Amino acid sequence: MVNPLYTKKLSVPTMSDTIKSKEKKSKTVIEVDDIGFSYDLGKTETLKGISMDVSKHKVTALIGPSGCGKSTLLRCLNRMNDLIETAKITRGTIRILGQDIHAADVDAIELRKHVGMVFQKYNPFPKSIYDNVAYGLRIQGITKKSILDDAVEKSLRGAALWDEAKDRLKDSALGLSGGQQQRLCIARTIAVQPKVILMDEPCSALDPIATAKVEELITDLREDYTIVIVTHSMQQASRISDNTAFFYLGELVEYNTTEHIFSHPSVKQTEDYISGRFG
Amino acid sequence: MSPHQGHILTNFDEALSQIRDVTIGMGSGAQRNLNNAIRGLIQRDKSLCNTAIADDDDEDRLEVEIDHLGMKILTKYRPMASDLRMVITSMKVASHLERISDQAVSIAKRSRKVIKSPEIKEVLRIEGLYKVASDMLSNSVTAYVDSNSELAVTVIEGEKALKKCHKTTSRFFAKALEVESEYYRNYLDLVFICRWLERVGDLAINIAEEVVFEDTSTDIRHGRELPPELL
Repeated sequence: MVNPLYTKKLSVPTMSDTIKSKEKKSKTVIEVDDIGFSYDLGKTETLKGISMDVSKHKVTALIGPSGCGKSTLLRCLNRMNDLIETAKITRGTIRILGQDIHAADVDAIELRKHVGMVFQKYNPFPKSIYDNVAYGLRIQGITKKSILDDAVEKSLRGAALWDEAKDRLKDSALGLSGGQQQRLCIARTIAVQPKVILMDEPCSALDPIATAKVEELITDLREDYTIVIVTHSMQQASRISDNTAFFYLGELVEYNTTEHIFSHPSVKQTEDYISGRFG
Repeated sequence: MSPHQGHILTNFDEALSQIRDVTIGMGSGAQRNLNNAIRGLIQRDKSLCNTAIADDDDEDRLEVEIDHLGMKILTKYRPMASDLRMVITSMKVASHLERISDQAVSIAKRSRKVIKSPEIKEVLRIEGLYKVASDMLSNSVTAYVDSNSELAVTVIEGEKALKKCHKTTSRFFAKALEVESEYYRNYLDLVFICRWLERVGDLAINIAEEVVFEDTSTDIRHGRELPPELL
């Protein structure tokens, strides 16, 4: 059962129109303002008044120990938490390209077209490589083969998978290696041309070579998308992100450029965490 | 989960302590070598000069050891923030200390030549410059030991006094060189020794600059501004 708080009426033009009109001029894509979140209908707050802006075409890393709220915040950004019955936004707003994503006229499905997500465990559908990438477009009602062909090629190229997959597009996606499956999921995400890509520990199940390929891909994708990534790897955050936010016990402790956070953080708690002093 | 001083990985703490301890040891060695070289000159003691020259091998060995320890820490523990700065600073300080010890060797070698000749009383004039350079070195090593950027700044501020003292002392020997034809070679050696002592002071300033970087994360080399908290 979906949380009644989030059962919004479908109103496709509003979200798309707002985003299109704001997209070109805005440097800030996501505005999180004093957001509070609870998994138990407000009894305890998992997120305690988080405020942060996410810049356009930047990779923003969310770091912190387990249970600090980073994944919860990530899932708030495309309302994935709507699927949890007792989940509740207790205060604040989240705006994506100026649109309050919890506004009455915003539909969560419509929102997720603009805010795609890549998960920790790669999850291709048990379909062909081609069908996986084309899935989102077909749901949008696109059936013309030439359009789908172009989109599949473009997305697979965008996900640095085209050379490896072009001769086996009709093969099952499950036959790909783990790293290839994760890149396929990224291709599936970018096929619908979202504005924002959320990544929840996308490399945690991958070997070092596959991780390097996905990291390289993330760096390339920054040119076209705004990326927010949750990672437990300090090295990964420092390698691929432009900005880093450190969370602890549901609070945003420090948010700054990645260079600042990893070279001379302003808050001792951040320094203690990134240098491995939390015990 | 509560923050505490040490790292979760105790081996990491031990590795950091080790590189710091070896660098501090190297700092003591460089000071000792310089002291032996100058005492050899002033006390006309060849054995002290020989000791300064021989002990330079230890400094060379320690510099290599510190580089290896640093590389090991960087590859094994991937230090961040202040830990990273500490490792980099230690490696750079070791390089400066090795060069200071080289200056001590140069001084000791020239001193052996000077003391072969009859005593020149004016040689005692070198003590003033030695005191300035030696204090700067001592303070820069102490600043490294304590991560004390305020003390490091006092070393950097000592540059003018160092230059002035070097100029005065060096000019005195250069003038004597022109008039004292019998001992001109000794006075020339003393001019060189003045230059090497000045170089020791300069290297002490380099160490102090590294300490400021370690402590405040601000690179002040080549005349860059001090961080606001040190102004």
